[in-house]
Amino acid sequence: MTALAAAIGVGIALLLCGARLFAGPTLYDRTLAANGVVIKIAIIVAAGGVISGRSVLIDAALAFVLASMVANVAVLKFFRLRSFQAPLARAEDL
Amino acid sequence: MDPASVLQFLQLGVSGIVVAVGLLLIAGGSLGLLRFPDLYTRLHAANVADVVGSVIVVLGLAIAAPDWGIAVRLLLLAALLMALGPTLTHLVAQAAHAAGLAPIAGRYAAPRPGATSTSTPP
Repeated sequence: MTALAAAIGVGIALLLCGARLFAGPTLYDRTLAANGVVIKIAIIVAAGGVISGRSVLIDAALAFVLASMVANVAVLKFFRLRSFQAPLARAEDL
Repeated sequence: MDPASVLQFLQLGVSGIVVAVGLLLIAGGSLGLLRFPDLYTRLHAANVADVVGSVIVVLGLAIAAPDWGIAVRLLLLAALLMALGPTLTHLVAQAAHAAGLAPIAGRYAAPRPGATSTSTPP
């Protein structure tokens, strides 16, 4: 009962985050909104796990949050350095 | 009334109140993410309200959970959200500032990246 209410409320917030994801003017807005969307999907999945009583869905929510964090850090690092193979020393130090 | 039904009623009531508080915070954070004028103000909304609301909703779900395994996993999820949300907010803000994205600050100008080393007197 509470889990169903939580899933519906978080779903409405997910629509708002999705609007910012598609309307965001800069890359960083989109990164932030994408992280919010994934976290809200994880909460909805966890609420589904509480409703159905299966703990596998909570583990899936944990994996969602961790994968979202790793993906966002990779995106931010790529757009700061414009490369996935960043040099370990700065050019003026060599 | 036997104690089991009282406990069940208490579980439903407490988890409902906690989830309602968390949903209020999440609604505020998502509205701020949609309506604020600037990346940094949006970050403020998404960090403060949204992360705290997510943690409170997950704690309410942990109160409403049918058995102990699910409750412990939900507490782990709450700890993970509480640790990773501010970390990611800091990363986004630092990356945007280093990329030269200026905040809207009215009369006041925020320091630009790299401007402090030239403007400060020796």
